[in-house]
Amino acid sequence: MRFRVGVACMLVAAAVAAAESKPAPTQQVTVGTVDLKSAPVQKIALNRTPPLFDTDEPATPQIATIDVRALRAAGKLQVQMTWRDASNDSATLEAVPEGRSETRFHKVPTAEDDRFFDAAAVMVPANSTAVAATPSLQMGDPQGVVTIYYWNATRGAMRMEAAGRGTTRRTGQAFPAQGEYRNGQWTVTLDLPDLPAGTPVAFAVWNGSQKDRDGRKYFTVWQVLK
Amino acid sequence: MSKHQYAMVMDLNKCLGCQTCTIACKKLWTDRDGTGYMYWNNVETRPGMGYPRQWDRIGGGWKDGQLQPSALPTMDDYGRPFEYDYAKRLYEGSNKPVMPEGGAHSGPNWDEDVGALNGDENYFFYLPRICNHCTYPACLEACPRKAIYKREEDGIVVIDQDRCQGFRYCIKACPYKKIYFNEVTGKSEKCIFCYPRLEKGEVNACAAQCPGRLRFVGLLDDPESPVHKLVMKFQVALPLFPEKGTQPNVFYVPPFNPPRRGNYGKSILEDPRLPLDYLVYLFGEDVKRVIARLETELKSAQGGTSSEVLQLLVGRDAETRYRIRPELVQIKL
Repeated sequence: MRFRVGVACMLVAAAVAAAESKPAPTQQVTVGTVDLKSAPVQKIALNRTPPLFDTDEPATPQIATIDVRALRAAGKLQVQMTWRDASNDSATLEAVPEGRSETRFHKVPTAEDDRFFDAAAVMVPANSTAVAATPSLQMGDPQGVVTIYYWNATRGAMRMEAAGRGTTRRTGQAFPAQGEYRNGQWTVTLDLPDLPAGTPVAFAVWNGSQKDRDGRKYFTVWQVLK
Repeated sequence: MSKHQYAMVMDLNKCLGCQTCTIACKKLWTDRDGTGYMYWNNVETRPGMGYPRQWDRIGGGWKDGQLQPSALPTMDDYGRPFEYDYAKRLYEGSNKPVMPEGGAHSGPNWDEDVGALNGDENYFFYLPRICNHCTYPACLEACPRKAIYKREEDGIVVIDQDRCQGFRYCIKACPYKKIYFNEVTGKSEKCIFCYPRLEKGEVNACAAQCPGRLRFVGLLDDPESPVHKLVMKFQVALPLFPEKGTQPNVFYVPPFNPPRRGNYGKSILEDPRLPLDYLVYLFGEDVKRVIARLETELKSAQGGTSSEVLQLLVGRDAETRYRIRPELVQIKL
């Protein structure tokens, strides 16, 4: 079983290496300065992670590209991600009242236990001013800690940190984000702290109907903010 | 491998199917938001669909050192919790009886006491189930977050709620489907073998409340414990579906002498009141040896010779059934 996990890692590494062997470093996300609508659109190819375990369902690629717009204004970096997705996998969960649930007669129910939600994320080096080398695309590495701005169609936005695969940690911090699904397309806008030109940035999309979660997702190689 | 291993033995000959264990567990652990459908302890009728439906056939566990694929059970497989329409019937005036709101289409132990036919006679028995706190937990291996761990001091398998991200690979991997997803917290949960009670020297809530006195609890590696005696010394308790490869630490004394009209006193080996094939399906071929052993013990007891095994299985008092020794499992920090 260890051997198989190793194979899975190698597959991921191979997929990432293949993705990275494309002329990636020249890809740039040009940042607008007026408004998001007029900011230049960068179409970026999405890669699909292979199944990580023997027991995983097949991971057929369904989403080929993502459109990214970026805007630097008022000390913030606004990033808008747009992608086509045939199904809106999101839900409105019943609000949890204040106080201990044991003392309430009505408990908020688990409505479904087997659904997964659409999601998107932007990954940047945690310390963008001191980027000696681009962190590993697989959730950073011990020398290249990354911050992940994660948005989930149901659970909202949360900031995470990671220093390599399996180390992702929720910081408990939220950030401004909004998502809209219309005409078979998601448009998700994230408000990030400003990042200097030259910062590496990578994007990811999870498709709920494909049971995406964890490393089972679509990802871009590192881009560079211009 | 843990230093010690808590284990439970359940004597299926004594289970009444009263669900007192289920409610003891529910009131103590799953009376929270998102846990309505969860029964860390459940009692199901066998033969039957089980909870979740067909859990024994949908996959998971190990084969040749590999995790096996599995479907993720749906809410309908577990049974959707429902409220009764009391307000409608009591306050709005109606001569109809109270009914489940929105109807009820499935539930845990939905096929209660249905059983199956053996020849022209019906048979069934009850199977109480908790997490098996396996020696080789498939759930632990499947978790990419390493959120599941087996406590070194006592072998109890728990999910770290801070590390869990609700990916649900563990639910698929568990061949017994004893992990549940809480959509409200976005994390998965499971039986914790009442470790906070054990740490205080108290037995598990399900065992403490059992009117049938069918549960035995102790350390498998403690020669004085009833579980050690039943599993290792007398070898009359077997794990469920041993072929799933996880090495459960919950064991069952198989039902071996259910009463039947006209044939009282005969074992299922000489007069199969419930088909042996079904017990072999649940517990493996070894069940034949166990039933033969219990039969021999019963005959000798009926002949006037005291049987140590049967006396232990009677388990009159808590001291006989439980041996909880927090001092044995404490890890020196």
